[in-house]
Amino acid sequence: MTEVDVRQRILAANEAAAADVRARFAASRTLVVNLISSPGSGKTTLLEQTIARLRDRVRIAAVDGDIATERDADRLRRMGVPAHQILTGGSCHLDARQMVAALETARFGDVDLLLVENVGNLICPTNYDLGEDFKVVVLSVAEGEDKPFKYPAIFARAEVCVISKSDLLPHVPFAMDEVLGQVRTLRPDGRIVVCSARTGEGLDDWCALLLERLEAKRAAAR
Amino acid sequence: MHELGIAAEAYRMCRARLDARPDGPFRLERVALAVGELSAVEPDLLRFAWEAVVEDTPDRGAVLEVEWRPARQSCAACGEVKDRQPGSWLRLCPACGGALSVEGGQELDVLRFTCARRAAEAAPSAGGAAR
Repeated sequence: MTEVDVRQRILAANEAAAADVRARFAASRTLVVNLISSPGSGKTTLLEQTIARLRDRVRIAAVDGDIATERDADRLRRMGVPAHQILTGGSCHLDARQMVAALETARFGDVDLLLVENVGNLICPTNYDLGEDFKVVVLSVAEGEDKPFKYPAIFARAEVCVISKSDLLPHVPFAMDEVLGQVRTLRPDGRIVVCSARTGEGLDDWCALLLERLEAKRAAAR
Repeated sequence: MHELGIAAEAYRMCRARLDARPDGPFRLERVALAVGELSAVEPDLLRFAWEAVVEDTPDRGAVLEVEWRPARQSCAACGEVKDRQPGSWLRLCPACGGALSVEGGQELDVLRFTCARRAAEAAPSAGGAAR
């Protein structure tokens, strides 16, 4: 009987692909943002509004992950930016190898901001690095105030938490202070933005955060 | 999460190393994985998935051992918080009330495996009729 030491990450192949993506976008100084949430939290609507506000200031492209339909990429294309839909064939998260293939097909050219909208799922996308600069977790006020502690991994991994659909606050139970406390417990150094893509509340802050991160990435490269 | 895919990838990693050795063939006996609290992988499901993965292989019966790795909450002043219940999250250091950071719990690794030489497969006998 022989014992063999391995000590290798099981997700090593994915991580190697993610490193390739990261290196490519470091060279081009493109900010890459990976948006993760449950289905229906408002990711696509948030991205539509983001594009509407920023498309004349920065060059934007999008990658959407879904198990079926091109609806999300179609919506973002209608906002005037190139968008590529990855159909995952039933897989509940995007992985870096899919990103590499998508970028090869999409051929976006020079981009300042790459918005990656992950498959709607608060669990599985957490551990699949796509080569992004940071993850954003989106939680709508209609989802209840217990979600951060129920899904600690994604709230700990995401540098930014967007609390969406704030226009619904008068109509749904959502103890904002409780949620903010949970998010800050899991990610003490994170940023939290409360917004509504319908009313525009908080979107200035959200867009400013993206531009700030883009500028920081450019400055770091100089 | 993706216990079946994870188990299959872990098996592939071990099998590839064994197949690369010139002094085989080898049979996998035990495989040890590290699974972190924040890896979204459930050890029991992983063991079930492992059994399914090795069932139709020469490594059927290989045992999967899962070493659990908790995430750690630490205070800059007081060090690691020891008395945290699994799955719970503390807001502030119970000793001094300071902010807590989270470390670890992300492990998802093949640590090691044990193997033994197995007899090479016997050649099928000539003229045997299929039933």
